[in-house]
Amino acid sequence: MSDVFVLAEHRQGELRDITLEMLTLANGVAEKLGGNTVAVLLGSGVDSFAEKVSGYSDKVLYIDDPLFEDYNSEKYQRVLAALLDDYKPTLLMVGHTTQGVDMAPALAVEKQLPFISDVFEFEFEDGKPIPVRQFYGGKVNANVAFKGDPPYLATIREASVEVGEPSKQGSVEKIDSPLKEDIDYRRFIEYIEAEVGDVDITQSEILVAVGRGVREDKNMPMVEELAQVLKADLCGSRAATDAGWLPHDRQVGTSGKTVKPKLYLAIGISGAFQHLAGMKGAKTIVAINKDPEAPIFAEADYGIVDDLFKVVPVLTEKLKELKG
Amino acid sequence: MNIFVCVKRVPDTSEAEIKIDETGRDVDSSRFSFDINDADNYAVEEAIRIKEARGGNVQVICAGPQDADVMIRMALAKGGDSAVRIDDPRINKNDPLQMAKVLAAYIKEQEYDLVMTGCMANDNWFMATGVALAEELGVPHAAMVNQVEFLDGKVKAHRELEGGLSEVVEMELPAVLTIQTGINEPRYAPIRGIRAAQKKELKVLNLDDLGISEEEVSENSSLIELQKLYIPEVVSKAEFIEGEPEEKAQIMADKLVKGGLL
Amino acid sequence: METELQSFIEKYDLLGCIQCGRCTGGCPVTVRTNLNVRRFVYDSLDEDILEELANLPEIWDCTACSTCAVRCPKGLKPLEVLIGLRGILVEGGRVQPTVRDALESVFREGNPWDKPRAARCDWMKDLDVRIAEPGEAVENLIFVCCTIVYDPKLQVIAQNLVRILNKAGVDFAFIGEDETCCGSEVHNLGEEGLFEMLVEDNTELLNSFNAKRMVTISPHCYTAFKNEHPDLKMEVVHYTQLVGELLEDKKLELTREVPQRIVFHDPCFLGKQNHVFDEPRYILGNIPGAELVEFDRCRERSLCCEGGGGKMWVETESTKERLSDTRVKDARALEAGILAVACPFCELTLDDSVKAKGFEEEMRVAEILEILGEAIED
Ligand SMILES: Cc1cc2nc3c(=O)[nH]c(=O)nc-3n(C[C@H](O)[C@H](O)[C@H](O)COP(=O)(O)OP(=O)(O)OC[C@H]3O[C@@H](n4cnc5c(N)ncnc54)[C@H](O)[C@@H]3O)c2cc1C
Ligand code: SF4
Ligand code: SF4
Repeated sequence: MSDVFVLAEHRQGELRDITLEMLTLANGVAEKLGGNTVAVLLGSGVDSFAEKVSGYSDKVLYIDDPLFEDYNSEKYQRVLAALLDDYKPTLLMVGHTTQGVDMAPALAVEKQLPFISDVFEFEFEDGKPIPVRQFYGGKVNANVAFKGDPPYLATIREASVEVGEPSKQGSVEKIDSPLKEDIDYRRFIEYIEAEVGDVDITQSEILVAVGRGVREDKNMPMVEELAQVLKADLCGSRAATDAGWLPHDRQVGTSGKTVKPKLYLAIGISGAFQHLAGMKGAKTIVAINKDPEAPIFAEADYGIVDDLFKVVPVLTEKLKELKG
Repeated sequence: MNIFVCVKRVPDTSEAEIKIDETGRDVDSSRFSFDINDADNYAVEEAIRIKEARGGNVQVICAGPQDADVMIRMALAKGGDSAVRIDDPRINKNDPLQMAKVLAAYIKEQEYDLVMTGCMANDNWFMATGVALAEELGVPHAAMVNQVEFLDGKVKAHRELEGGLSEVVEMELPAVLTIQTGINEPRYAPIRGIRAAQKKELKVLNLDDLGISEEEVSENSSLIELQKLYIPEVVSKAEFIEGEPEEKAQIMADKLVKGGLL
Repeated sequence: METELQSFIEKYDLLGCIQCGRCTGGCPVTVRTNLNVRRFVYDSLDEDILEELANLPEIWDCTACSTCAVRCPKGLKPLEVLIGLRGILVEGGRVQPTVRDALESVFREGNPWDKPRAARCDWMKDLDVRIAEPGEAVENLIFVCCTIVYDPKLQVIAQNLVRILNKAGVDFAFIGEDETCCGSEVHNLGEEGLFEMLVEDNTELLNSFNAKRMVTISPHCYTAFKNEHPDLKMEVVHYTQLVGELLEDKKLELTREVPQRIVFHDPCFLGKQNHVFDEPRYILGNIPGAELVEFDRCRERSLCCEGGGGKMWVETESTKERLSDTRVKDARALEAGILAVACPFCELTLDDSVKAKGFEEEMRVAEILEILGEAIED
């Protein structure tokens, strides 16, 4: 009772950041509710993850079973449904990630749970957690309350909280899997890594974009290095593709491509209407331009007004340091 | 193959200034422009491509007002065979699980092999309707699909995960897929085609036709309640980073790495 | 297929062609692409290969400048054959994403820039202007143009027109949010169905106003309304004609000096296609302190800037110099301080070339209305 459960997320031998983020958030909620934070870990031979999450939770429920070698939403759903019945937590948090969104809504339907997705913070009203989420691409915040009885279910947006140092020492309890046999109507086949080589900038998650401000072909290695550290693809304004610094299929804009990366770093691009049209859908835009009046800044989330030749090399170095 | 594809009409708010209306629980949409939801548009294209490659029938389903008809006709012009629009003001638009119930009420009475939805609606960002729909229908599903293959009675779906990784899952049909943008390149619906599509069937149904009661899908019976909307304080204007070039670079690097932007 | 073929041959009068090659001979883009419009006129006679022809990338290189039509001794419009081939792709839904998005945007929002209709009048914020009411008499109904209303760089063109007309005491009004794409580029991109719809809707809308004439700012809108809207019940003029008149009648006086050497670039859609050559020159000649010079290739022979014919949404893949680059080099050789234009597309292409060539210190591209803004007192 009053506990907050968190579904640990991992893939290909790595615990995903969202797990500790959720636990951090859960600890805050559990404190208000006067309950404990319980991490639920499903996997096969992932003892080290159990240990890691125990630093952020009061208890870890760990099901160690080859059936959970790889993620399968159907299996997770069955196990969580059973655990909810057994433990009756107040709230279950699942990542608003490609794993979480593949499972949580179905679990909510099956167990008739009050369910709210893409939550980034909780407010409290009469001791009850009120999830806060966003509508309209982040332009509007919404408080959406759970009605009825717990358990409640929420998927949690990535990177909503900063994770600190471990502050707890939860016990790790290995429990039996409620799932006794494999599921055949949905099977995991394999992971496929993105092909390297032919880049399709419309699918890129991170883009470093260059414009006329880069001046010459011989300056391209400088931005290429930055792109490399960021694991980004390169693209540019028409000025850059016209000059031959980049192939034509890397042009962003009305007569080029429309891109929607998570991060768009515009370097030496003024932000002409024809260019903005192709990249305004980027989630976060960073612009480096020496002209404070450049229209690109009107679309940017972060702006650096300076000489790009001074900023970019240092930025690359600092990123290298930070990323180790 | 009988394919059902669910589409939604959403406002494009990327450039609009948003005002909360007097109820405090909705936005003033009078100056928005509307279009088919982005991911749904890809789902329509994928459905039509599957039909073109394997034969079958594509039916478009939309829960929404009459204004959505243009967008539905566009989907029919591209190659959809018929459409159903579920129009009933009693349906709670802020609960994806209830919406799933409405869609399921219609689909489960039909013969279907595949149901497709977009993976996310651009207005509310729930990312929940399609997966909830699968559970209502009692069939397997895969979310965030960016490639589809078929082999004797089964579908292999590639799910797009974080960081460019794909997960391939195999499911028995019928199944529900929520489609990710970028799975294909949607075709253009020429105006003459849209006009010609006036001849295709577009049925309009309400809750009574579907045989579900208001109780099941109205706001009162929802397990969640939208309390209030408000404009977040952080304005979207650029945050300018100050200092010497090196300092700026350092601050920016920190923001990128620690702010989860990468 | 038979009837469609007949319509293709008949529609474009393909049998009238004598294969003289004057069209290709004058086509400006041949210096940088493979486009040979004469060949398309010839090859289109064969019904079986229309699809194949439509898939050749060079059909998108045509800028719709109309040089070929002007030069054809048999009165054919060779460019329309290319546009007809584009239409085959459009009807099949197989156009590139940029073209698809532009066309869908026109259908939904009345402009090709994917901008909300609700933002169409943002450029006139803080300006004292009148929006026309149906039935209410107005002397000059202004049609602004999608590109000018939405591109922040170009909005000053419309803003200056307001200043000038106010100063001259002219009776004028705008259409407001209902103003809808003229369809010029829609036609050039091959979307006939959408173009017909626009013509119908715009004719009805514009006729609902009790206007004596309609004043267009972009030559592309001018051409569309003047030549493609047979049922429009008002005279259509280009703003240079109106402003020329105002200067002649001394209703407008240019008092401030613009001490520059100015060369005027004739827009294809104003000059070649509509023979408006003198008014822009008359206006520029009236600017105090300005010295007007001419390109070698001027008036009917003006070099296309490659801004029209759908080129806003389709890039020509060529490593050869853009025609707009050539044009600004010519202007530079004339030591012009201002390259004057009378079209939003020309302004975009030429301005870009000035930057690409690194001539920003020496010269600038300016719309005539921008220069006029400098020549009048407030
Ligand atoms: C038909 C047509 C279609 C077009 N289609 C497209 C399109 O699809 N995509 C597109 O991008 N453009 C397109 N354009 C061109 C567009 O109008 C702009 O001209 C172009 O985007 C400008 O590119 P830019 O920003 O790189 O160059 P500029 O506008 O020249 O900007 C360069 C910027 O770099 C900055 N800078 C210079 N030196 C430094 C330095 N040392 N440090 C920091 N900053 C510096 C300057 O302040 C300036 O803001 C099109 C134009 C036309 C006519
Ligand atoms: S319109 Fe101009 S670009 Fe097009 S074919 Fe004719 S001459 Fe060539
Ligand atoms: S100019 Fe006219 S007649 Fe001569 S080849 Fe071209 S289309 Fe034929």
